[in-house]
Amino acid sequence: MTGIGRLIDYLWRYWRRYLVGGVCLIGTTSLLMVVPWWVRGAIDVIERGDPDSELGGYVLLIALAAAGGGLLRGVARSIIFNAGRNVEYDLRNDLFAHLEKLPLGYYQAQKTGDLMSRAVNDINAVRMLLGPGFLNLVNTPLYLVYAAVFMFAMNWQLTLAVGACLTLLALVFKQFRGRIRRASLRVQRQMSRMSAHVQENLSGMHVVKAYVQAEPQTAGFTGMNDEYQVRSLDLARCRGMINPVMVALHGLTVLVVLWYGGWLIMREQSGVADLVAFILYLNVLAWPMAAFGWMLSLLERGRAAMDRLEEIFEVEPAIADPEHPVPLRDKERGIEFDRVSFGYNGDAVLKDVSFEVPPGRKVAIVGRTGAGKSTLTHLIPRLHDVTSGTIRMGGVDVRSLSLEDLRGAIGYAPQDPFLFSTSIQDNLKFGDAHASEQEVRRVLDVADLESEVEVFPDGLDTRVGERGITLSGGQKQRATLARAILANPDYLILDDCLSSVDAHTEQRILDSFESVLKGKTCIIISHRMAVIQQADEILVLDDGRIVERGDHESLLRAGGLYARMYRRQQMSDELEEL
Amino acid sequence: MRAGGGYRNRAAMNAPEEQESISGKAYDLKLALRLWRFLRPHRKVFFLSLLLLPVHQGFNLAQPLLLKIGIDAVSVGDGLTLMTTGLLFAGALAAEAAAYFFQYYLSMKVAQRCLADLRVEIFSHVQRLPMSYFDRNPVGRLMTRMTTDVEVLQEMFAAGAMNLVADLVLIAAIVAIMMSLHVEMALVSLALIPFLLLGINVFRLKARQTYRLIRTRIARVNAYLGEAIPGMAVIQLFNRQARSFEEFDDLNRAHRDAIKRSNIYEASLFSMVEAAGSLSIALLLWYGGGEVLQGVVGIGTFVAFSEYIRRLFVPLRDFSNKYAVIQAAMTAAERIFELLDTAPEKSGRDAEPVAGTVPTAVSASAQESGVAPATGAPATQAADGAPTDANPASTAAANAASTVIPGTAPPASVETTDAVRAAVEFDNVWFSYRPNDPVLKGVSFRIEPGERVAVIGATGSGKTTTIKLMGRFYDVDSGAVRVGGRDVREWELDALRRHMGTVLQDVFLFSGDILSNLKLGNESIPEERVRAAVRSANAEGFIRRMPGGLRAAVRERGNNLSAGQRQLLALVRMFVLDPEILVLDEATSSVDTETEFLVQGAFEKIMANRTCLVIAHRLSTIRNADRILVFHRGVIREMGSHAELMEKGGVYYRLHQLQFQGEGSGGEARGVAADR
Repeated sequence: MTGIGRLIDYLWRYWRRYLVGGVCLIGTTSLLMVVPWWVRGAIDVIERGDPDSELGGYVLLIALAAAGGGLLRGVARSIIFNAGRNVEYDLRNDLFAHLEKLPLGYYQAQKTGDLMSRAVNDINAVRMLLGPGFLNLVNTPLYLVYAAVFMFAMNWQLTLAVGACLTLLALVFKQFRGRIRRASLRVQRQMSRMSAHVQENLSGMHVVKAYVQAEPQTAGFTGMNDEYQVRSLDLARCRGMINPVMVALHGLTVLVVLWYGGWLIMREQSGVADLVAFILYLNVLAWPMAAFGWMLSLLERGRAAMDRLEEIFEVEPAIADPEHPVPLRDKERGIEFDRVSFGYNGDAVLKDVSFEVPPGRKVAIVGRTGAGKSTLTHLIPRLHDVTSGTIRMGGVDVRSLSLEDLRGAIGYAPQDPFLFSTSIQDNLKFGDAHASEQEVRRVLDVADLESEVEVFPDGLDTRVGERGITLSGGQKQRATLARAILANPDYLILDDCLSSVDAHTEQRILDSFESVLKGKTCIIISHRMAVIQQADEILVLDDGRIVERGDHESLLRAGGLYARMYRRQQMSDELEEL
Repeated sequence: MRAGGGYRNRAAMNAPEEQESISGKAYDLKLALRLWRFLRPHRKVFFLSLLLLPVHQGFNLAQPLLLKIGIDAVSVGDGLTLMTTGLLFAGALAAEAAAYFFQYYLSMKVAQRCLADLRVEIFSHVQRLPMSYFDRNPVGRLMTRMTTDVEVLQEMFAAGAMNLVADLVLIAAIVAIMMSLHVEMALVSLALIPFLLLGINVFRLKARQTYRLIRTRIARVNAYLGEAIPGMAVIQLFNRQARSFEEFDDLNRAHRDAIKRSNIYEASLFSMVEAAGSLSIALLLWYGGGEVLQGVVGIGTFVAFSEYIRRLFVPLRDFSNKYAVIQAAMTAAERIFELLDTAPEKSGRDAEPVAGTVPTAVSASAQESGVAPATGAPATQAADGAPTDANPASTAAANAASTVIPGTAPPASVETTDAVRAAVEFDNVWFSYRPNDPVLKGVSFRIEPGERVAVIGATGSGKTTTIKLMGRFYDVDSGAVRVGGRDVREWELDALRRHMGTVLQDVFLFSGDILSNLKLGNESIPEERVRAAVRSANAEGFIRRMPGGLRAAVRERGNNLSAGQRQLLALVRMFVLDPEILVLDEATSSVDTETEFLVQGAFEKIMANRTCLVIAHRLSTIRNADRILVFHRGVIREMGSHAELMEKGGVYYRLHQLQFQGEGSGGEARGVAADR
């Protein structure tokens, strides 16, 4: 589907409103267009020197048409603009709903800044297309047709002369349309480039400072900024030309009417009243013609924006519910990886990984950064799908379960503690909105957050700021842990979720955790030995493969990678124990 | 309560809403004056475009008059007058079009230049903000300042909002012309204006309230999106799609409803103006008809009046829109200036004079500071007698090059280098990121020139903070950090940081190519020097395998390279920059097997004969250090050489014993992060 195709679908949803609005628009245009006709009649009366009464009739008619036309205009604009707002609202909602279906892989490939720019700026451009753009698109031809009919009825020669001038309109349209589109596209692209540079600069600020990069960074930005300026001025030149051209074109028609009409009158082939009516008709056309360039750029920008949005809508959610989901019956069975491989665009991250977590057991995964630990845990709740092999939960292929069942059964505490800017309470209840206060208190206690929350200005209702910016790294991690265990899930995945927490606090958490973990099937990634040692089985992942497995003692005896890591780690654990 | 359980920043709490402050008129004036500072350099073009405005409008307003003369000439059958007025009309038209184009184009030119300047000013200001600012303000918010808010200002120019005053002049001119044509007819056709103004006023007030509402509501919609997009995985993991959608829908609907109200106001306004246009014509006919009948005025006058009425109503109608755009622009300007008003990092330049204490260092820093801080760069150059370069950036680059490329460095720099090699000293340093939560508690140590010091300690023990204080990314609460015998607060910041090379665990690369990442903006570094550095860092093979070699593309954050490859590049960078002081956060975990060996060798090489501070995770690194500092919870627990500490039999001794259990003779441990 093209962007415009989708847009028409949306417009179709509100066809009744657009119909009513359109009828009102025709009504108001009729009333507006009949005014010059009556003015002509009135001037005829004046020219003939007829009695006042007839003039009074015309005046009254015009006044009534003005009032009625004004009223209808108001109704038409309200209805059409508001219908456009409905479309905008639908479009934004649908986009959001669609984004909710797209898998993690999509977000890793896209830049957040780019998605945001589409969801904000492009929808804005579509809105302009739907409101003023649509109205003028309908209005302008309507005006032209009406004017043509009335003018033709008065004087066909003069009408043809005016018409000849207006054919230039088509030429202007053709000339500028492509240029404006290309120019605005170039501006939009440069804007994206600049945003990307700024985003990179801001995220790497510590490096910018450490390497004294402010100068070259600013120089780089200035270069892009200059280019943006050049491109913007290109667009301005294009748009700046169209308006004067249209104004001049309109003036040209007036001039033609004056000269040719005047000549006709002097040869007594026409009357002054006709001339006045012609000028009044052109008067009505003045605004739509002056706004032509603006309308053109609205349409072009809107169309480009809709195409950019379509690029998002087009993406099929790669991870979706199966057609006939199997219920998650047997929670007595654990998690099974059966020859699982996974890769991002060709780079294998996991290679032929097989293991089993029996129900109620704990498996710890250790390995260096980049070994594939986090990716492995992403596969279970289907943030990504395996490239080959099978993952079973409760004995069922995770791809046969409904996403809701699957994810509802898992408590997941990710490595990156992402919190939303709501209250601490809303964040904790993220997975279970109906959790009681008592339950919230319980998980706060487990995560050792209770005493800290107490001193927050509004306790549990304290807002945590964007991405939890008002909390320390450790607090954020503990909050995400609390969030994961609140819904009391059967399966628990903890992806190194206490790395910023100091050892003493972690110990306290672990102590109270025993009761929480009881009976749950757990996969724990950690670098802390105290945590790893407690696991029933330890898997050592290196370069996407399981290179060692066993319990702590046997791995230590084996003297492999695990043993080396253990000794290294012990040093830091020891330091913390001081 | 555990230390660190405090609450960081109350002010930041309500940040996501970003409520618009309702600014008073006096405040708007102040903002306008500040904006003027950006307009000032382009004032000539600006005034030219302003001057063209009455020209454009004058030619426009002449047309109905010519029309009147023409029509009246037709009525009396005067063909010659018709001919000449027609020609004049055409001339006025052409002149109007030309003036219109140049007026628009020039005003856009001014706008683009101003905003380009503003963008660069914001960007370079942000570069100088202290790290603590970035700790408090998420990237998204800063992005909004730098892009969206500036766009809003651009809209103000584009919408012709700057012409508000010109509109008033236009209205006055039209009224004057109409009066001069025929006073009574003018009064009749203007009779509706008071009612119109009244109506406009009512609707404008209502519309204004809705504009403000709309702006806050759309801001909330976008803020929600800005959070949901990066947090989508969390939403999906917790099956929150439906509820999040509801929340989004609520915000979206609130925005739509606010806009619908404003649409109705605007439509009413529009229809009133249109009706008034036709009504005025009816009035004109009613009154003017009699005049024409009596032969007092011609039909031409009637036509001219109808034309003027149309021209009169358009600015009246658009007034409320323009006002709204200005309001939005003022809000954006307010936020931009707030950012520009945030105090930048303090640099020793501001705390002058300190010359005399360590003269060499001062001259060195002065020499290098042809650079950023606008405060005193020219004075500096004058003092040094250095030639004033027209292009400060290139001067900076040249100076930077002179300090980092041995052999080409001027004598002054050589002295500097000696001074810098002198020492790094922490003198009873206390530091906290948040009040009452000290991270360093009275840390004192000294690194002699050429000495290699290893730092070990647990998460949160203060190691990384120590590094940050050396480059003055944060200021100490009390005590002092000295580099080259000088308090870092007396150093010119850029000079200080140029003397230090830092390699962090998580290497950040800029998008571009490998070469640009190695040169880091200093284009005067010859490629041969880079190649030599690549050889020194044992990275030749790696570079050769990259498609395009040194020109191989590096994607955003270098995410097309493995962590190990990024590490290796960071080390090559050090060979290129050749800093006097090296600060390393030794890689522990992020390195894959293949590159680890290479990185290890390069590490050893770069550290040789250099003042080094290494956050160490490898036993060999620790043992090869001249001295070892054991950090624990913000204090130095033990300090001394390997032998001394082993003899002492303290913490280090115990750690060492643990490390060696079962591990072969100094066999290198590879493994999981000891520390993140």
